[in-house]
Amino acid sequence: MSSRIVAAVEIGTGKIAVLVGEITRGRALNIIGVGVSPSRGVMKGEVVDYKAACEATHHALEMAEKRAGIRIEEVWLAQTGAHLDAFYNEASVNVKSADNTVTALDIASVCELAKEKELPAGRSRIHEIRRPFRLDGRAVPDPEHLSGRRLEVGYWIVHGPESKISDNIHVVGGYHLEVRELVLASLATGSLLTSAEERSQGVLVIDIGKGVTDYVLYRDGHVLVTGTLPVAGDHVTNDLSIGLRVTTAQAEMLKLRHARATTLTRDKADKVWLNGDASFGDRQLPKLAIETITAARLQELLEVIRAKLGSAFVAEHCGAGVILAGGTAKLPGIEEAATRVFGLPARCGEPPGWVKEELHDPMFSTVLGVFQFGLRTAHEHAVPPRRKTGLLSNLTKIFAAS
Amino acid sequence: MNVPADNSAPPPGRSWRNIRQEVRPAMSRKGRRRQLAAWAKVTALSTLVAGSGWGIYQIAHTWSTDRAALATAVHSELVREVVLITDGVLTKPWVTGVLALPKSASLMALDLPALRGKLLAEGQVQVAVLTRNFPDTLVVTLQERTPVARVQAADRTGAARQLLVAKDGTVYGGVNYDKAMLAGLPWLAGIRLIKAGQGFAPIAGMADVSALLTTAQLQVPHLYRDWLIVSLARLDERDEIMVKAQDVPEIIFSRKRDFYKQVAQLDYVIDAAHGLEAAPALQSVNLSLEGQVPVRLQAAPDALAATPTAPAFSIQPSQRKTKREF
Repeated sequence: MSSRIVAAVEIGTGKIAVLVGEITRGRALNIIGVGVSPSRGVMKGEVVDYKAACEATHHALEMAEKRAGIRIEEVWLAQTGAHLDAFYNEASVNVKSADNTVTALDIASVCELAKEKELPAGRSRIHEIRRPFRLDGRAVPDPEHLSGRRLEVGYWIVHGPESKISDNIHVVGGYHLEVRELVLASLATGSLLTSAEERSQGVLVIDIGKGVTDYVLYRDGHVLVTGTLPVAGDHVTNDLSIGLRVTTAQAEMLKLRHARATTLTRDKADKVWLNGDASFGDRQLPKLAIETITAARLQELLEVIRAKLGSAFVAEHCGAGVILAGGTAKLPGIEEAATRVFGLPARCGEPPGWVKEELHDPMFSTVLGVFQFGLRTAHEHAVPPRRKTGLLSNLTKIFAAS
Repeated sequence: MNVPADNSAPPPGRSWRNIRQEVRPAMSRKGRRRQLAAWAKVTALSTLVAGSGWGIYQIAHTWSTDRAALATAVHSELVREVVLITDGVLTKPWVTGVLALPKSASLMALDLPALRGKLLAEGQVQVAVLTRNFPDTLVVTLQERTPVARVQAADRTGAARQLLVAKDGTVYGGVNYDKAMLAGLPWLAGIRLIKAGQGFAPIAGMADVSALLTTAQLQVPHLYRDWLIVSLARLDERDEIMVKAQDVPEIIFSRKRDFYKQVAQLDYVIDAAHGLEAAPALQSVNLSLEGQVPVRLQAAPDALAATPTAPAFSIQPSQRKTKREF
């Protein structure tokens, strides 16, 4: 029985999370080790201090390896950051055969054409996500052997600057490990927190982290749009720090203790202690101000996402609503805020049942999703078994049936 | 159909996969340590594989070119002790004598299959296991045959010689048995000993004879003590085993019937005959028939004196009769 020891790694702005999994027969996953360390040298998903980022990442990798008691063989790395960009490109071909039956050659050529678009200099592709084929205007999952005249397909191509992607890869490489898969963080989170049915109904997943916010919109079971915004929990902390004239650490504490995504307090006189330890310099701050600042920033963030989605977001095509994830999504009232902005029911994402209780913390959503996405992709890329039509296989079938 | 997957296939051209991942100059201390550990592991593994390969080659080469050298190489300690574990009566001096190990024999140089063959050639040994117990001990574990009968054969000089017969029909000399035990064994008759190698071929039908003798020994030991001869003369033709006892010249058993029942019937008949006032001597008891036991008397008792010849009558042992009724 063949098994691989794979680590899913997320080098985030707030923390670095590593999960070690044993993948058996390419499908079954068993999580055997966890490593988490506070992030350093990373800002908004980009490595800005290589040494510090290496130290923090390697510490998490070493911790995970020790807990798993086994050597990691390869790494699947989550990729996020404001440096990532994406565009949609489509192509069409006329079906070549005389009887208008679509062949594998037609499919291959239309896919090649759709992916052919040149990237700006210094950028590398991360994902090429295919949308459904259209044959004479009708959407078909598999056009081969169908009749039609015109075959179209579109690809959502995610790319980023090679230098910044390689920085992340080199941080892992510095621990003498090879990155075998690079997975967009939003796709990883979306893959974990949504079911196939929800993706089919249409669902928007928003992962609000510390430095960046990732989002992915699914429709008809396919990825429609992905994106990353350089605005997240740190901005809320920063706003509180400026608005209330407190230090960043104090603002972070206020955010964790008293912040809300919607304003609930009505009484201006309702106040909370800054430090709460009756120490020298401790003072009272209006709770309403904290809530107002937080709610305004989060509403703005959600509205920016909606604006970025543009015409792709149609509430009627998003039947499964909005799913929120990430550390900032733990703020009370966030579902209400999202509902107001998107006009859809919103909820905080829950990992599926197979995830152990100790990994239910939102900090593991992305790394768990990396595993889920990686396994699903590997399965879809696996060469389908050829249909056997020989005498021997027929005889085998007969005996198998008997 | 090989439709390109919904998600990211490795894209051609400028993909992130084209980014070089080797970062040796910028590797952290932990990374270098990990790399060194990996190299050390690979080196150790390669050395082990290469060493094993070289060793196997050397052994194969020496085996094909110079076996003596290999034998010399494995000559270890001399055999200083032979340990015997047995379930029978054989002793260590007997085993040592049969094995006849040279004084200069080393433990590794011993040809264990040949030594085992020597032990098995003695019919008394049924199973022999020889084990090297390093550095200098040879452990011999034996399972011995148990004799169930005796047979007389002429040796090369023509003199009569007593041999023993085991349950499986093996005929052997027998060593170290208690003489009293041997004297209690019945003799076999009605057989032909066939030469086979140094000894004789196994006697057919001994499994049945052994079953009869064992049953008698356990169930009617007072009768078994008097059994002198067991004849297999009619075993093949009529499935009958004839026993000559001290009191009864002919007792006929059938191997097709349950021996337990037959010896019980014999016990009853002899008991019943002794119970008669005249206590007639029995000439023969035939237990081979189902349902009745024909009995012949040697001389007519007074009560039956009118009968011109010794009477033959039968009893129904299944019906419990009193002595008077008989």
